[in-house]
Amino acid sequence: MSQKKIHEDQKYIDGLVANNSFIIQAVYNKFAPKVVNYIKQNSGNETLAQDVIQETIITIYHQATEKDLKLTCPFDAYFFLLCKRRWLNHLKKTGNKKVTINEDILSKDDDAQELAFETSLFEQQHSLFKDMFQKLGQACKDLLTATFKIKSMEEVAESLGVTYAYARKKKSLCIGKLTKMVQESPRYKNLKP
Amino acid sequence: MQDQDFILFEEYLSGQLSLEEKQAFETRLERDASFNKAFEAYKETSHFLEQHIKNKAETEAFKANLERVSSAYFKKQAPLKTKRINPWYYSIAAAAILAIGFFIAQQFSSPVYDDFANYGTISLTVRGSQNDLSTKAETAFNNHNYKDAESYFSDMLDTDKANIELQLYRAVSLVELNKYDEADKLYNNIIQTPSVYKNKAIWYLALSKLKQGDEEACLNVLKNLPEEAEDYQQAQELIEKLQ
Repeated sequence: MSQKKIHEDQKYIDGLVANNSFIIQAVYNKFAPKVVNYIKQNSGNETLAQDVIQETIITIYHQATEKDLKLTCPFDAYFFLLCKRRWLNHLKKTGNKKVTINEDILSKDDDAQELAFETSLFEQQHSLFKDMFQKLGQACKDLLTATFKIKSMEEVAESLGVTYAYARKKKSLCIGKLTKMVQESPRYKNLKP
Repeated sequence: MQDQDFILFEEYLSGQLSLEEKQAFETRLERDASFNKAFEAYKETSHFLEQHIKNKAETEAFKANLERVSSAYFKKQAPLKTKRINPWYYSIAAAAILAIGFFIAQQFSSPVYDDFANYGTISLTVRGSQNDLSTKAETAFNNHNYKDAESYFSDMLDTDKANIELQLYRAVSLVELNKYDEADKLYNNIIQTPSVYKNKAIWYLALSKLKQGDEEACLNVLKNLPEEAEDYQQAQELIEKLQ
């Protein structure tokens, strides 16, 4: 993965990370029409396509900021695959409507397949962490939020009215707790490649 | 894994261990596979939290920007959609604004706040989610009921302090209520952040100064607006009129 050459379309990923409006606009102008057509042809409509595209871009953004996503294939192929999968999952969830899979627009690009797979894995992982974090006790949530927002543990302890030693210990235990919750979740076993 | 393992992981990660302890820890990582696995999992959780919490403001700013581009893109594709406001209303509103604008422009030669203060409508409610307070805030703001809007934004900020979008709208409401000190303070805070609202805040701060009648301060703020800002053209017009 790391030896592979980074595709010039990495500029789209970098632009998303930088929250560059021009790049976001370009992604819509260049890559949205194909997705919208595909979804419309497969029991969807424009509003649903809008959601699929938006969610896909957010996922790419998360992966790029958290895991330093490097594009090894054209953005077009990667993006279309992700949107398509998201749409097929949506159809599966809402009942079995007829889906025509147009082989012509299915990507034959192995790199794109691989990268799209990694991204969907990342997304499931990210949402599992997020859900488990929400389930964490309020005390842990407050402490972790303060810890990762404020750099110094002394300040964290002070803002929460606890001692420094307690805050540090509690931080480890809360992260440990969250780690356990993630691993014990039934969703966890599907996440390892 | 035991609690003391987690404590040890954290001490290692935050560089609290002595050299000896550190070496012992690393040797154990090499030899004890399950210890290593647990440590990797702990690190992964810690990394997630760091990104999730630290980058929250950036992520929110990105989502807001994305939502804006997305709605604009799809509105252009399908101008007539059910549940959207009848386009006639826009024309009527536009005509009314034009008429008022024309009237004001004829009355005064020097630029006035109302010529430039066009905050548009805001959209806080994410499709599919139901949040009473944001709906109320959105409605109040869009109906120019800034007194209520300000108090709703203020309530929302109590639980979501770092939300820059809300801070910006609250500041706008404060300006409308002539509470300039508080508003300007908020704008200045936003200008210090890397958020997408930075340039908006610069422009709005200039408008606040204009409304306060402080033309010199207004000019000084306007000069900080970068060329790529959405309101750059308007700002140039205002600078011209002020000079």
